[in-house]
Amino acid sequence: MKKGKRPIGKILTALIVAFFYLPILYMIIFSFNDGRSLTSFTGFSLRWYKRMLESRTMMEALYTTFSVALIATFISTVVGTISAIGLSKSRKAIRNLMEQVDNLPMMNPEIVTAIGFMLLFITFRVDKGYLTMLLAHIAFCIPYVILSVMPKIRSLDPNIADAAMDLGATPWQAMTKVIIPQITPGILAGALIAFTMSVDDFIISYFAAGGGVKNLSMVVYTMSKRVNPSINAASTLMVAIITIVLILVNVIPIAAAKRRTSYEIKKKKALIPAVAALAAAAALVVFLHAGSGAGGRPFEGQTLHFYTWGEYTGENIINDFEEETGAKVVLETFDSNEQMYIKVANGESYDILVPSDYMIQRLIQEGYLQKLDPSKITGLENLVDSVKNLPYDPGNEYSVPYFWGTVGIVYDKTKVDMEDLEREGFNIFLDEKYRGDIYLYDSERDSFMMALKALGYSMNTEDMDEIQAAYEWLIQCVQTMDPEIVTDEIIDNMAQGRKALGLIYSGDATYVMSENEDMGFYLPETGTNIWSDAMVIPANAENPELAHAFINYACEYEGAYDNSSFVGYTSANEEVMEVLSGEGGDFEGINAYLPRTDNDMDEVFEYNENTRKEISNLWSRVKIAASNAD
Amino acid sequence: MKKFSQLAIPYIVWAVIMLVLPMALIAFYSITEPGNSIFSFSVTLDHYVTFFTDGDFLRILWRSLWIAVKTTVICLLLGYPVAYFISRCGERLQNRLILCITIPMWINMLVRTYAWIGLLTEGGLIQRILSFFLPDGTQLLYTESAVLLGMVYNFLPFMILQINTSLCKMDGALLEAGADLGADPVQTFARVTLPLSLPGVVNGITLVFLPAVSSFFIPKLLGGGQYFLIGNLIENQFITVGEWNFGSAISMVMALIMMLLMAVVRRLENRNRGGQDERNF
Repeated sequence: MKKGKRPIGKILTALIVAFFYLPILYMIIFSFNDGRSLTSFTGFSLRWYKRMLESRTMMEALYTTFSVALIATFISTVVGTISAIGLSKSRKAIRNLMEQVDNLPMMNPEIVTAIGFMLLFITFRVDKGYLTMLLAHIAFCIPYVILSVMPKIRSLDPNIADAAMDLGATPWQAMTKVIIPQITPGILAGALIAFTMSVDDFIISYFAAGGGVKNLSMVVYTMSKRVNPSINAASTLMVAIITIVLILVNVIPIAAAKRRTSYEIKKKKALIPAVAALAAAAALVVFLHAGSGAGGRPFEGQTLHFYTWGEYTGENIINDFEEETGAKVVLETFDSNEQMYIKVANGESYDILVPSDYMIQRLIQEGYLQKLDPSKITGLENLVDSVKNLPYDPGNEYSVPYFWGTVGIVYDKTKVDMEDLEREGFNIFLDEKYRGDIYLYDSERDSFMMALKALGYSMNTEDMDEIQAAYEWLIQCVQTMDPEIVTDEIIDNMAQGRKALGLIYSGDATYVMSENEDMGFYLPETGTNIWSDAMVIPANAENPELAHAFINYACEYEGAYDNSSFVGYTSANEEVMEVLSGEGGDFEGINAYLPRTDNDMDEVFEYNENTRKEISNLWSRVKIAASNAD
Repeated sequence: MKKFSQLAIPYIVWAVIMLVLPMALIAFYSITEPGNSIFSFSVTLDHYVTFFTDGDFLRILWRSLWIAVKTTVICLLLGYPVAYFISRCGERLQNRLILCITIPMWINMLVRTYAWIGLLTEGGLIQRILSFFLPDGTQLLYTESAVLLGMVYNFLPFMILQINTSLCKMDGALLEAGADLGADPVQTFARVTLPLSLPGVVNGITLVFLPAVSSFFIPKLLGGGQYFLIGNLIENQFITVGEWNFGSAISMVMALIMMLLMAVVRRLENRNRGGQDERNF
């Protein structure tokens, strides 16, 4: 045979390998970046590693990822092997049928399998959490184990077990002493596949887990909207572990090869990677779990399930609260009121939620909230008058405000003409001068608010013609303006000056303006949404006592200051708001931080079931139209 | 032998609950009205009618299938030569190359996709290099090309490994026999190598096409909030809109299309290979 040089194959293979490693290298390099940027390297630093190790969310996610993988691998390997032996001795019809069933999770699109699990747990009212995630993982891992064990069993002599039993072995002995030793390579390969699938899984966990339980993939998915180099740090750590394991696995057999016969190597070669990988993972789980303290504080050992917006708590408030009370806070985050509502309506239990005004009204109407105990709420008088006694909850019987603000336009002063803004207001989002240079915000409420206000209507309109007009306004916008519809991505992107204009929450604008002096924040004269997000306690909360304690903690100066100065949203605590916006405060001179209170056209959202449904459907259609626009 | 066959019973019960029942529930939700429970419900086909009569939904379905086809073709065109080249290397080099291709697969898919954001975004390495060739202001991130790139990146290793496995299984003597019988290298490839590697190609296509159609985090991370594929549509129905019945109907449509396509592919393969059944994972 000709042994040519095959230059084309060589080059192509090299390029493909480079292609596979380029993003990984990039990620490793930027995990050591001193700055936050993912595009310019400003200096070497380990701060993101420190940040990662300090981040509870990340460490818990690592723990969940590996502990679920280990348990799921163990159970699915044992069950899969036993079942495969059983199936091989079953009648042919059953065997064939089960083969088809086993194929379900492999031949179905993963998202379909995932939704199946979700519907299963919800229909039978199993609380979604660690256990449901584990069950789902076991369920999709077993078929892979069976698939890799089955061929080994088939290649066995079917009479071998009989022979053993004829010679006096019990069935148990026949299985453990005769069958299993012969199919070990298949079992180990199956375990390895199960482990890999479980560690890498995102889609199934995303739909099957709940209650704040997250694996690494889910954390990356929810954090990916903001630039977060600690994701790079966590990933680099994983790359390092995996590479070390794989190298060990590939070096040991080569060293061992010098002494053993080839048959034995084959066996050991399958054994070593599996054992090494599992051992490394077990060590990691033990290491991650070994971090808990004790003491004698009021809520020692209790748990607070806190469900709030992403990036909505201060740097230290959670830790400080835990330190002071001895309770453990499980933080779960959402990107939209609607997403939160679905979970609450499904019966998932939380102790505190932080929904917006109209959503609080809805939750009250539908009986999902419990009244606060006024004797236990101490911080209410510290709050700004403008956020108290609002129509969604007169007398603040159910809610205590957290942050508040407006929705306005963030703009690049170097690209946008102030005259255009003043003349057009929200209609600037239809001005083709700025085509391809705008961000819309992926929130049905705020997008329709913008359109309704641009058309001069009330944002609380119940007139379907006006809503239809607003829908057409939005359709025109997505079809002619080529906008990007984003959520939190807008924050870093505007801070980097990537586009000229965007619809933004005042609190995010505060952050953008404090990062980039060229950015401004404008509120159209035709009015906007004055919103507030407030802490509420769901009717099915497990620990209302602790929830009251946290509400008070977040209202007091220290907690409120930490929240507001770190997040950039306007504090409901009057003193904090004044200090932060006043002389020497973090947000001095930033107009976005102090909400406008003197425009009669500004409104607060009210909840209306009919218009909500309509707006929700229409917004979903606007996004689909945007997706089909090119 | 009865004793051994009883070992399968717990698993059969488990599989009915954890594998069959979920699919049955999706089918159930897809034909019932919102707000129904499993005890009282009314049957409707409205969700399917809505899906199939609406141009916007059909376009999303079409786009998802089309981008999956493009991904599969690109993976095949890049993956086959690479797999072929690897299979012709010496055993040691071959093992190392396979290891090189396997390592990235051990790293979380989301993490690897996330890493592309930094490369493609304005000021990122790739964007800066390509900006010399592309017209000013051309955006890379949040475009369809970025989504395609993300898919090829994530799924190409499956294609390479599958084809490589079947090429390595091939008996080298067959090639020599072909050459001895007077075939030139091109003929040997077309008449011997290619047909023998078809099972790998088919497995590769399955392993690329299936996840590509239903992927939803790649379009979300690299395509941006307004880039919808069928997976995003389903996610949206379940996570934000809360219309599970409609979401289940879309899931059913997708599952059925996939089953149909896979059945066709397997059929073609079996015809070519005379019914030899081979599957590798």
